[in-house]
Amino acid sequence: MISQFFVLSLRGDNIVFRDYRGDVPKGSAEIFFRKVKFWKGEEGEEAPPIFNVDGVNYMHVKQAGLLFVATTRVNLSPALVLELLQRIARVTKDYLGVLNEDSLRKNFVLVYELLDEMIDFGYPQTTSTEALKSFVFNEPVVVDAARMPSLGPAALFIQGSHRLPGTAVTKSVVANEPGGKKREEVFVDIIEKISVTFNSSGYILTSEIDGTIQMKSYLSGNPEIKVGLNDDISIGHAGSGSYEYGAGGGVGMVLLDDCNFHESVRLDDFELDRTLTLIPPDGEFPIMNYRMTQEFKPPFKVYPVIEEAGPFKAEVVLKVRADFPTTITANMVILRVPLPKTTTRVSFDLETGAVGQTTDFKEANKVLEWCCRKIVGGSEHTLRAKLTLSQERTVNIKKEAGPISMTFTIPMYNASRLQVKFLQLVKKSKSYNPHRWVRYVTLSNSYVIRT
Amino acid sequence: MSGHDAKYFTTTKKGEIHELKEELNSQYKDKKKDAVKKVIAAMTVGKDVSMLFTDVVNCMQTDNLELKKLVYLYLINYAKSHPDLAILAVNTFVKDSQDPNPLIRALAVRTMGCIRVDKITEYLCDPLQRCLKDDDPYVRKTAAVCVAKLHDINAELVEDRGFLEALKDMISDSNPMVVANAVASLAEIQEGSSKLVFEITNHTLFKLLAALNECTEWGQVFILDALSKYKSKDGRDAENIVDRVTPRLQHANCAVVLSAVKVILQQMELITSTDVVRNLSKKLAPPLVTLLSAEPEIQYVALRNINLIVQRRPGILAHEIKVFFCKYNDPIYVKMEKLEIMIKLASDRNIDQVLLEFKEYATEVDVDFVRKAVRAIGRCAIKLERAAERCINVLLDLIKIKVNYVVQEAIVVIKDIFRRYPNMYESIIATLCESLDTLDEPEAKASMIWIIGEYAERIDNADELLESFLETFPEEPAQVQLQLLTAAVKLFLKKPTEGPQQMIQVVLNNATQETDNPDLRDRAYVYWRLLSTDPEAAKDVVLAEKPTICDDSNMLDSSLLDELLANIATLASVYHKPPDAFVSRARPTPQQDEDEEYNEGQDMGPSESSAPVPEVAATPATTQVPVAPAAPVPRTAAAQVPPTQPVADLLGDLMGLETALVPVGPATSAAPAQPSLPVLLPATSGQGLQISGQLIRRDGHVFYSLKFDNLSQTVLDGFMIQFNKNTFGLAAAGPLQVAVVQPAGSVSTLLPMVLFQNVSPGPPNSVLQVAVKNNQQPVWYFVDKIPLQVLFMEDGHMERGVFLETWKSLPDSHEVAKDLPNATITNVDVSLEKLATTNLFFIARRQLKDTNQEVLYLSGKVPPNIPFLVELTFVVGHPSVKCAVKTPTPEMAPLFFEAIESLLN
Repeated sequence: MISQFFVLSLRGDNIVFRDYRGDVPKGSAEIFFRKVKFWKGEEGEEAPPIFNVDGVNYMHVKQAGLLFVATTRVNLSPALVLELLQRIARVTKDYLGVLNEDSLRKNFVLVYELLDEMIDFGYPQTTSTEALKSFVFNEPVVVDAARMPSLGPAALFIQGSHRLPGTAVTKSVVANEPGGKKREEVFVDIIEKISVTFNSSGYILTSEIDGTIQMKSYLSGNPEIKVGLNDDISIGHAGSGSYEYGAGGGVGMVLLDDCNFHESVRLDDFELDRTLTLIPPDGEFPIMNYRMTQEFKPPFKVYPVIEEAGPFKAEVVLKVRADFPTTITANMVILRVPLPKTTTRVSFDLETGAVGQTTDFKEANKVLEWCCRKIVGGSEHTLRAKLTLSQERTVNIKKEAGPISMTFTIPMYNASRLQVKFLQLVKKSKSYNPHRWVRYVTLSNSYVIRT
Repeated sequence: MSGHDAKYFTTTKKGEIHELKEELNSQYKDKKKDAVKKVIAAMTVGKDVSMLFTDVVNCMQTDNLELKKLVYLYLINYAKSHPDLAILAVNTFVKDSQDPNPLIRALAVRTMGCIRVDKITEYLCDPLQRCLKDDDPYVRKTAAVCVAKLHDINAELVEDRGFLEALKDMISDSNPMVVANAVASLAEIQEGSSKLVFEITNHTLFKLLAALNECTEWGQVFILDALSKYKSKDGRDAENIVDRVTPRLQHANCAVVLSAVKVILQQMELITSTDVVRNLSKKLAPPLVTLLSAEPEIQYVALRNINLIVQRRPGILAHEIKVFFCKYNDPIYVKMEKLEIMIKLASDRNIDQVLLEFKEYATEVDVDFVRKAVRAIGRCAIKLERAAERCINVLLDLIKIKVNYVVQEAIVVIKDIFRRYPNMYESIIATLCESLDTLDEPEAKASMIWIIGEYAERIDNADELLESFLETFPEEPAQVQLQLLTAAVKLFLKKPTEGPQQMIQVVLNNATQETDNPDLRDRAYVYWRLLSTDPEAAKDVVLAEKPTICDDSNMLDSSLLDELLANIATLASVYHKPPDAFVSRARPTPQQDEDEEYNEGQDMGPSESSAPVPEVAATPATTQVPVAPAAPVPRTAAAQVPPTQPVADLLGDLMGLETALVPVGPATSAAPAQPSLPVLLPATSGQGLQISGQLIRRDGHVFYSLKFDNLSQTVLDGFMIQFNKNTFGLAAAGPLQVAVVQPAGSVSTLLPMVLFQNVSPGPPNSVLQVAVKNNQQPVWYFVDKIPLQVLFMEDGHMERGVFLETWKSLPDSHEVAKDLPNATITNVDVSLEKLATTNLFFIARRQLKDTNQEVLYLSGKVPPNIPFLVELTFVVGHPSVKCAVKTPTPEMAPLFFEAIESLLN
């Protein structure tokens, strides 16, 4: 099992360090950091999450701008370690409200106490925020979230496009509100990351939705909850053979390829009416993860035109159309187009009356960037860019520019049409009616338009 | 109370320790707690606060759990350096282990187990015994882990006190968490034990399957991993297990899913019904694919595992190739793995789609990824005959973009395609030649030169093209030089005109006289000799038809694949290496270069196996020239021809080369006349052949000094030697340099040895099993001993400070001591000198108070990089020396003692 656990900042500072077995030398954190920073002897090369130096296996994940690392000498399950590292990050966030270098340092005693309950002799023990409450006594020093970089959904979502963002709740599960009274509420977020690849003619080559139904509960007394999904969900992929739940779905159904559930979820009624029953533990956790490759309507269509306009000139025209209802607005829509290496200058021409749009030419890696702060459903926007090239082209310019990649966040929209129809407390009482929030958000994962 | 903990970090003024001391002894609880927090803060940033030990331990007797935990944290950290003081805490521990509060009981047992001080261990047993039977499951699950801790410190104690039995009983515990921890502990104890400790019987199987449904996700992993070691009786048994495990595939925790996959795959081997197997394959696909929706780190683990799974059961994911298409925001390590799997799943059905993807990747930014994508196209061409032409067209398209590294990579793979489909696609050579002058990478250059040489008769200006490389011949890397040499010979044999003839002279001159590279020189000699003796034979050899290469994208050796599949969901499945290649707990392993390790997975391309380099070796060994048939030893090809044979004269008349042969020859005569080597194979058992030998160290290298005495009536020749797997992986670095042993004659030789070639698993030992054969006799087997002293490294000297540091940093369990009755030190200086010559270096010397005993400290190091810290206690002139060593690998201590004893004998 694991020998050591440590958390490093991206500068290599040791923030938390715990040794469980004494069979790995103390300098391991430094060895690890140097290896990761100069993978293959070069700065900027990305190290794989698992590697071995001098008989010590190092496993790490990046979370919240920190490196969570475990070491071992034995042939253990790496998936277990990576999951554990992620869980430690999540539990710590549950306790501290926010997870960063500052909050870890301010709460080191609590963090060590948590670690002692979560890992014994290198074996993961209790890692549920709820269960830990009975063993952990230190109280968190909540770091003022206002001093943090904005945690609004948009800001969170644009940085790590691949990572599942935490819900935008930054209060600790154990700390009391300033008024001393806990607010009774429960959040259910349906977060979908979509990947689409369009070929140069605009046809969809691949499309996929990775969805999570995430819950964060602040309910006292841990009441039982029923989460009802739309009943036309069908599970099993018609293409790759049937799955145990019935055969492929009909038209208009939500057809999931596969899904899995949190261990607290009871599926007694799932077959019958697609409801999930659970007693939500405290803290943030995914109730259900699902995957879908059924065709869906992509939220954005992009029509790029890349043309030569003389021996040292070229023109890029991007037209974006938002294919979703007008009541919905997408945030922080960014398109990036790699340009020919010989590009020296780009002049931009935005449509008249454009608001909240910015353009940039990243000289260092020759990328055009077009950012639209907001795009309303049904609208269309165009950007014209004139390129100046330092050399005459030798091949078709289309081969040197592209593919276009796109990132965005669309709140209150989901492409799969999977829905939470209701969120019910099983034992109702008139006096107890906590706030219940159901939120949808769609994020781009890999949204690529080939040229 | 909960102030800002960060403030504890800020006090740095003088007298801090004194202040803390006062606060710790304060009568106010809050102040005490604050003080302990400050101490811990100092400790975590690496300050030494061990002088506060007594004061902190005094705070231990409290009802406040928060404070108690802090004190325990401190204890774990410092007990090691203050074992005597740690004893003071024992009473409180024992008392706490009987506290009415289960949290305190568990805390006491958990912490005691972490204090690795022998004296405390004794006191641990009784509390542990009680806690294993505690009423509270939280205490029991903590105690279960504590047994593993105790076993790590003192295995005998665990057995003597019957803790193993107690653990086994816990498998039937009513609380699934207790079951899971007991299983984890037992598995670990089994891992480090040669005895059978933990076997899953019918009864335990039932218990484990029952607990599986109820315990935490981590417990499920422990149990699944234990189940994976269970051998089912029959298909029915296997199906039953699979039925119970399959629901785990729906778990949100990827570790549970992967461990479940491992159990199912293993049981599938036993299931005979094809329907059941097909059905299971269908069930495995969706969860495996879902793993790719997890965080990239987990995706990486999943992909490395899927890579293995599709090699054995390609059907599972045959229809899912799309999910392995790279996303633009995948980290590079994920993209590389996805490419690998795409190649494995590529088929005639999906190749068009796959090629479109590869082509797209080949224009991305990341150079490594682009290269791999280009190579992938070539590998698909080699794998899928019907798609080869389409693949080549894509490659030609890419060459036209004229991105330098794309062109070079394309040329490397096209060379492989030519090898795979001879006489099919050579029409594209002209296109390739256009890029000739842009090549600057050795592999691409070498490949292009190979193509020119191989098809010299079809390229009109082949001689001009080659000549353009010749000017820079001396500066080229070895790989390119070797190819140039071979290509020049091919050209000469195909077009024996004036130009090529001149060229061959220049090349042979360059390659024999202007180079330090023995491979190049030897190959040049072989060609030269061939050309000068029998040009027709040369044609047979050099222009021989080459065996066509085949697709090796599924290239893991099947026994390795078996082993790795048994290790799905472990690190071995990520590294694609068997566990004993990197697990160093039981014994040292060769130092690994993890870069290489990472590359290994990517570079399975045919280019490696079919690299044009071993041209000589690739030709059938049907010629009269004794070319070594084993590929990687051209180094000795020339030396194998005894210089006295007439062929050498023939060479002479070409160039007057006798002198050139001299430096190669002496290897045989260089063997020193070592006076009396121990006899390993007496003449009586060797039909007149007597072999004596010994491992020696010289100039930092290990040699096997061997002597062959022929007491029989026949001439013995064709000697070969081989070594069995051994602890240090010692093996011959080259062939045995013994040509002929005449009757009544003897030959001595020094065989260079290398380390870590064929490492045998298990505890270290000094046994070296050797086999020697010759053309006249049966194979002789004998056993020699590896004296550890031949492995001591020249750079084993340590500075005093480093020595002290290292000594402290190693746990006490790594210290082993033994009395060596046969060792004596009569003169310290003489002994030290002797030890120094064997690379044991003097650190310090002291006299023990009030005795006439002296103590010497020495350091040494054995490969790959294992330090040995040595303490010798002795009375000058008296027999018996007490030797204590501290080392990361105490299992090697017995070998070390043997070495010391023989050195001081």
